Formats: sequence, C-alpha cells, structure tokens
Amino acid sequence: MTEAIQNVAKTQIEVKDLNLWYGEKQALMNIDIQIPKNSVTALIGPSGCGKSTFIRCLNRMNDLIKNCRVEGKVSIEGRDIYGAGVDVVDLRKHVGMVFQKPNPFPMSIYDNIAYGPRIHGVNKKAIEGVVEHALRSAALWDEISDRIQSPALSLSGGQQQRLCIARTMAVKPEIILFDEPCSALDPISTAKIEDLIMALKKDYTIVIVTHNMQQAARISDYTGFFLMGELIEFGNTRQIFENPDKKSTEDYITGRFG
Amino acid sequence: MVREKYLQQLALLKESVLSLGEISEKILHDSMDAVIALDVELARETLELEPKVERLEEQIEVTINDLLALQQPLAGDLRLVVSALKITADLKRIVGLSINIAKISLKIEGEHLKPLIDTRIMGDIAAEMLANSLKAFETQDPDLAKGTAARDDDVDKLFYVVWVELIEMMAKDPRVVSKATHLLFLIRCLERIADHCCNVCESVVYLSTAERVKLN
Repeated sequence: MTEAIQNVAKTQIEVKDLNLWYGEKQALMNIDIQIPKNSVTALIGPSGCGKSTFIRCLNRMNDLIKNCRVEGKVSIEGRDIYGAGVDVVDLRKHVGMVFQKPNPFPMSIYDNIAYGPRIHGVNKKAIEGVVEHALRSAALWDEISDRIQSPALSLSGGQQQRLCIARTMAVKPEIILFDEPCSALDPISTAKIEDLIMALKKDYTIVIVTHNMQQAARISDYTGFFLMGELIEFGNTRQIFENPDKKSTEDYITGRFG
Repeated sequence: MVREKYLQQLALLKESVLSLGEISEKILHDSMDAVIALDVELARETLELEPKVERLEEQIEVTINDLLALQQPLAGDLRLVVSALKITADLKRIVGLSINIAKISLKIEGEHLKPLIDTRIMGDIAAEMLANSLKAFETQDPDLAKGTAARDDDVDKLFYVVWVELIEMMAKDPRVVSKATHLLFLIRCLERIADHCCNVCESVVYLSTAERVKLN
C-alpha cells in the first residue's frame, strides 16, 4: 500500500523500523510509514494505541519525557532527525504542532503570533506582515483585525485554536502536526478548522491525530490505523473507509470495538 | 458488544431485504403458475400480495434513512446499506413485472395458443436466478452471484426462440395476434426479471468484495 502511495506523491516524512519505550513498556513497535508531501494524513486508533506518541516522534517532543527511549529512523526530506548534530529547536521550527486544547500565551493576539518570529530574529517591521499573513492564512483575520491588541484569552475556543494554528505558521514550518485539534470545539469551529486544514495542505504537509472517524474521512488524503503500538494499515483514505484490507481496521472504524 | 442498537439495525435491514426477497419469489412463482394454467383465482390472490411488498419496501427505506442519518455506517456496513437500497429497487421491479404476468392470466380468454413449454422453462430459470441471487446476498457469496448471473444467457436465448415462433404464428394467421401479443409481453417480463436478478448479483459482488462489476 505504501508503495502505491509513493508512486503518486513525493515522500516528505519517512519512518523506518521505529520503536519506542516508556521505561519498560513498549509503546511503538516497528513502525514503517512514508508520509507524502503536501497532503493530509490522518492517524486513527483507540486511546493508548500509540498514535499521539507517534506524531510526537516527528518533532522529538518525546525527548521531554523521562525514561522515553526511541530506536529506528525518522527522516524528514531525507535528513535523520534523531541523527547527531540535529538542533531540536530548529527541528520544531520546521515541524510545528497544534494541540488538543488551545493554548494561547497570556498576552495579546498580536504578541502570540509575533513571539516565534521575534525569537528567531525577524525584524520588527517584517513581523507586522508576518502576523497579518498568518492570521489571514488561519482564516481569523476578518474576525479579529480590529482588536489585534486584545488579550488572546478573550477569544472563543475555536478562535483560540485558529490563533494557535496561525502562531505555528508564523515561523514558516514545512510540516504541521495536529493532535486532536477539534476535540474541545463545537461543530462550527470544527468545520472552520477542517476547511483550514484542507486549504493548508497546499503549502504544508499535515499529520493529524483524531478520534473522530468522520473527520478523518472528510479531510485526509491518507489514513493510518494504529492498534496497541502497531501501525496496522496505512492507505488512501477512501480505501480505508470503504474497503479496508485488515479486519481489525474494519472493526474499529465501524465501531465494533474501541 | 459495543453499538448494539446499530448492529441490530443492520441485522434488521438484511432480514427485511430477505423477507422482501421471499415474497418476491412467491409472487413470481404464483404468477407463472397462474398464467400457465390461466388460473384466474390464483392470479387475483397474487395481486393481493402487492400492498405487503409496499409496506416492506417502506420499512427498508426508513431503516436505511435512520442508519445513514444516525449511525454513519462505514466500510462493509456502508456497502450493505448501499446494496440493500439497490437490491430493494430491483426486487420491487421484479414484483412489478411478476404482477404484470399475473394480470395476463386475467386477459387471455379460453386456451393458450400453444403449450407454454419454453416459456415455463424461462420462468423456472428466472425463479432459480432470483432464489440464488438472494441466497448469495444472504451468505455474501460473490461466486454464487457470478454463477447465477451467467444463467441470464439461457433466458435470453429462450426469449429469442419464443419471440421468433410467436412472430411467425402472427404472420401466418392474424387471428392469433391478440393472444400472441400477450405471450410476447409475458416473455419480455421474464427476460427483464432475469436482468434485475443480474443487478442483484452485481450488488452482491460489490457488497462482498467492494468490486464494481457488470454481469449482464
């Protein structure tokens, strides 16, 4: 299946034989996956299956967890991100992440977005343009352009989440990881984020973890199903939802267990 | 078991389609008996079964609507819902055509023009195709579905033979035109019933393998 996908799209993230342990407990087992560039890849599976752990490997967020051990190879654009001499801060600039609960900084809307470019040394004049561009790309500009100096925490949950997406885009990543970005949002905000994700794949490669099966079906090009630390099946979203190869995938997406 | 109500609804859908299949089989069978024997009584009894078919069809539609709106079926479940909808439409047409056959027995006065030997065989093959396509649906057996659809060729061949025979009879003796026209209509109905059985078989292949095939 992965081979078939590779024929039509250029691989951006290549994972080979990835294993991960939290102390004694193995959380990921022999993961092989090739994620195509400028596409949306959804990762689904029951709680504790390893899908969040997996995307956290893609920008080395697991480095922050004590007793976490990673083996195997994760390459982005052909470069091993666990290799010697990799600057993790620089890596996370290229591989941004949006979390389940919107987490704006307790400062103004403007400063939330300007924060990243500032620490990366972008000059003050240029930052203004970056902020507007990021807010426009996140489909938030029209709603908040008249109160850009207001506290970010005064925004609604859906707006806060789009602000976090804008903040991620402001440092110009190539890849954006989404870990359950809509689970705390109402259906309208969810629809806006979904539209946004589909629009963003033109410029970014997107990997999204979701528990919402319909969401995965609606917005992704490729879907991977994780179960107990293994990647059971990875393929075109349409094929996964219409005619999966593996019985456990079918049982999961049709709600027969989980 | 999780999603118990959902699984019950899926099971109910399959059962309802099979019930509709069962009554379609009875209607086809009785219509053929009625037309061969010109049994007016049996034909009338057969016509009375139509409202039951309508009720079943309505029940299937409601179940499908509920499943789609409330349960969002996927993968094999989605294929079951889609094929149930299509199979229901085909069975309804089969019932309609069988009812037409029953009505022919009310129109022909006296005796048939000729013994209906090949026509009887056509009816038997169509009935067998209907029974087997429903069995293939019940057991999700794509091979049985393909084998069943292959029988359509025999029906088509017999259709042609009887058709030529009836045309020749009409050319020789215009007095038989009325009765022969009824028989032409009868064989046409049987030929269409066999085609709808092929459609059912296509739906069964799709249900079982996700493969879209043309079988007729």
